[in-house]
Amino acid sequence: MSDRVDAIVAGGGANGLTAAAVLARRGARVLLLEREEQVGGLSRTVEFAKGFRVAPLGTDPGWLPPAVERALGLTALERDGRDLPLSVSVEPGRFLTLSRDAARAAEAIRAHSAADAGKWPEFTSRLRALAGFLEVLYQAEPPDVDARSVAEMLSLLQLGRRFRALGRAGMIEFLRTLPMSVWEVLDDWFECAPLKAAVAALGVLDHAQGPRSGGTAFVLLHHLVGAPKGAVRGRPRPGQGPSAFAGAVEELARRHGVTIRTSASVARVRVKDDQVAGVTLEGGEEIDARAVLSTAGPARTLLGWVDPVWLDPEFLNAVRNVRYRGCTAVVAYALDVLPDFPGLAGREALAGTVSLTGSLEALERAADAAKYGLASENPHVELTVPTLRDPGLAPEGAHVLVARAQYAPYHLRDGASWDAARREALADAVTKRIACAAPGFASRVRQRAAWSPHDLEERFGVPEGAASHGELALDQILFMRPLAGWARYATPIRGLYLGGAGTHPGPGVLGGPGWLAARRLMADRRPGRAGG
Amino acid sequence: MSERWDAIVVGGGHNGLVAAAYLARAGRRTLVLERRPLVGGAAVTEEVFPGFKFSVFSYVVSLLRPEVIRELDLPRHGLQILPLESTITPLENGDYLGSWSDPDETRRELCRHSTRDADAAVVFGRLMHHMAMAVKPILNMVPPDPASLAPGDLRGLLKLGGHFRSLGAERFHALHKLMTMSSADYLDEWFEFDALKATRSASGIIGTFLGPRSPGSAYVLLHHYMGEIDGAFRAWGFQKGGTGAISDAIAGAARAHGAAIRTGAAVERVSVRNGRATGVLLAGGEEIAAPLVVSGLDPRQTFTRLVEPAALPKELVDGVRRYKFRGSSGKVNLALAGLPDFTCLPGNGPHLRGAVSISPSIEYLERAYDDAKYGEFSRHPYMDIVIPSMIDPGMAPPGKHVMSIFVQYAPHALNGGWSDAKREAFGDAVVKTLAHYAPNIESLILHRQVLTPADIERITGLTEGNIFQGELALQQLFFLRPVPRWARYRTPIHGYWQCGAGTHPGGGIMGGSGRLAAREILKSAS
Repeated sequence: MSDRVDAIVAGGGANGLTAAAVLARRGARVLLLEREEQVGGLSRTVEFAKGFRVAPLGTDPGWLPPAVERALGLTALERDGRDLPLSVSVEPGRFLTLSRDAARAAEAIRAHSAADAGKWPEFTSRLRALAGFLEVLYQAEPPDVDARSVAEMLSLLQLGRRFRALGRAGMIEFLRTLPMSVWEVLDDWFECAPLKAAVAALGVLDHAQGPRSGGTAFVLLHHLVGAPKGAVRGRPRPGQGPSAFAGAVEELARRHGVTIRTSASVARVRVKDDQVAGVTLEGGEEIDARAVLSTAGPARTLLGWVDPVWLDPEFLNAVRNVRYRGCTAVVAYALDVLPDFPGLAGREALAGTVSLTGSLEALERAADAAKYGLASENPHVELTVPTLRDPGLAPEGAHVLVARAQYAPYHLRDGASWDAARREALADAVTKRIACAAPGFASRVRQRAAWSPHDLEERFGVPEGAASHGELALDQILFMRPLAGWARYATPIRGLYLGGAGTHPGPGVLGGPGWLAARRLMADRRPGRAGG
Repeated sequence: MSERWDAIVVGGGHNGLVAAAYLARAGRRTLVLERRPLVGGAAVTEEVFPGFKFSVFSYVVSLLRPEVIRELDLPRHGLQILPLESTITPLENGDYLGSWSDPDETRRELCRHSTRDADAAVVFGRLMHHMAMAVKPILNMVPPDPASLAPGDLRGLLKLGGHFRSLGAERFHALHKLMTMSSADYLDEWFEFDALKATRSASGIIGTFLGPRSPGSAYVLLHHYMGEIDGAFRAWGFQKGGTGAISDAIAGAARAHGAAIRTGAAVERVSVRNGRATGVLLAGGEEIAAPLVVSGLDPRQTFTRLVEPAALPKELVDGVRRYKFRGSSGKVNLALAGLPDFTCLPGNGPHLRGAVSISPSIEYLERAYDDAKYGEFSRHPYMDIVIPSMIDPGMAPPGKHVMSIFVQYAPHALNGGWSDAKREAFGDAVVKTLAHYAPNIESLILHRQVLTPADIERITGLTEGNIFQGELALQQLFFLRPVPRWARYRTPIHGYWQCGAGTHPGGGIMGGSGRLAAREILKSAS
């Protein structure tokens, strides 16, 4: 590069693009480096069969916080407000479909339990209130409990408008709920097994634990930030098509002067006197900059890219101790026609999410395998048909069906590896599960592609195949994310920042970590420092 | 009885006795009513078989608050804790992992398995010590109510905030990790030797329906370190004469201060008039009046049996309904003709004066938990074994021994329910598992007492057989124990108070709940 660069952003996903755009908007000369041929991160699609495309990790669009929209000056993205319901298999030939309209959902529940139907509207509005509380926390740096006090956190919480709406009793409810298991929460409310399983599945999404594990109530709330009233799954997608947000931010970034280089993989972050000096790319090219903001995982950035001599052994140890634990495999099917799920109410249901796991116990049993480093024999499978929203992903009239399968632990027992045979065996188990609910499914499959957690790591850079960039456990969130004492995006190396999903507020908050990291970088920047 | 009472304590468990002793000490004419023929609740010694005495339920002590010991002068009333000197964990390969009273010996032993762990253990021990120090003041604190604007609560909150601030960032974070992580994950950050992690994890799952991989199981690791900070030689000890002697010592202190204790007196209901407690009604129809009634029973008994729940606020009743008991452990007491011979350490030796932990690996414990999760008792359970007659020969006839086996998991909600046949099958699984490590055990057994959670519930009255009067899970601790807004020992009924382990600081022979409750009662009256 002949031009001088103020800041390098490593990674062109939602966070990297957001960070770059925010920095450039404030006048910094920014270079964004993306390892792959395209930016877009998890929303990137791959062609897995001729004419069929899929974003294996992009089935949930995530939540675009208003604060990020404001920081980007992004206004034109319309929300896709369609009702994308959640359906769950009750028994062969029978599904329960939960509309986002709580009254409609309650009607459907009534066929299983009148008591549960009566509680449903209140349950969803409670969830909404609790998730709303997280939304407040997720649009600011994590409260700094360590340096100051719990009182600071309480006062911060009190400032939130949403918090006031929730009230003091609500806050206690919030604190009480976080460490609970989603199983306990649901048992307190409902009796209908498939209903409980349908809701609980979100509490273990990409989480290497079963619904009985403490903290899964938090995971559920985390994935419900930004969800509309009544919804127990899914957020309205900003814009049209899977990559709408990334595309809009990319355009914005370029407009503000960000230079984007794709197929440019960072090999090292160069450090001089505890201060970032620049990066070295695979292939040897060196680029100078006084600031580097990495959206790669904490381990890749701090253990892979930085010479350990610059970091304290205890700090390195803490980085090594971050748990990722990817446990999801993805199988995509190219179909000539929509599969027929008897008992499932048509295209509308398939456009949402369909879970094939009808009881908490089945979910828990699937999770048990992962504890011992095994793939579940009866995996928990969830389906979506993205072509019902975006027909362009397949040839005219044809469809793509995506199945997410849990649990497929990244670390297998006795050091076994995720080779092709193991991956295809899991994909076969998934196909079998689908065929139970949709007889004749297998014969409609034109082609199939599967990604193990290893493949997802390789292809999308998600550490250990975990799209979470760090297990959403109570000791790895808020002021503990990514590391206790280092939750505010800076690292012990001056000029090196973390701003990926491994930092607060974590995965599924579009641009949230990137925006906050960029803000921190700018706040730390004094004349003559980051600018070189 | 025509006597007049200032206060009636329902339930002569150790917390009830502690509360009574403090009330009596403050000059209140106090009466303790105990349903069983002996006081102590789950801390009792009984001669189950002629000549063989057992700490039937609770069997070791480490957490008894030093303030309680001091203020009630318990040693004068018979408290005498004998140290449990060691723990050994037999391994699957015929070897063992030992931990001894001599730290150097323990270190040498650990080096045999992993020098890295031996080094880590030193640093780890120091951190746990600091963590225990950080938690200690909280155990002596009446939980503030974060939802309240009352000056007392705000003062409490500020005090709590100040306490956390004083810890400093590093320790606050370490405490946060301890409170939220699973013990397996927490120990994985420190150690590599599986049996070491498993044995330490085991202390994190005792009495709780969690596995070592369940988040929330880490903080009980601290309990092992609690005793030491109070200057005790070892964290765990054994009361001379069994744990019943602790209850007797507390009862002695209560009597010395003028309290009366009636056994064989089952309280049927608490009498309430115009929102005010007026006394109790006994099972036989006898009524005893007092302006103050203190329940040492668990929250379900306190709020839904002793009083009419319909008269209580709905949020309280809902909270009690949600409160988790889920008893998960059982007890097997054996009368033995001689000493067990462990394959890993044959013959008699110092190891028999300590604990034997059947916890060979994390996976072993986790699989034991998996059985229970789906409603079965563990086929290969975790067991904590002590032979009290080795330390206190008076517990068994000469040459014979008593063995106490704490067993986990045995779910209260067993598939199909507990029956005599299921109880015996459970006992058989325990003996068979033990025989794997000490093959001569079966030939030594003279008598066997098997206690399932259903038995514990039936005998002691503890709901669902939970030995802590409710799980020690994060959402049931401190200002959430037993129910938010009602964690300060009072109830919505004037003059009706709670003092059992279902309140902060909770289970184990600690006496903290009884002491704090008495303090609150006396404060409100003055």
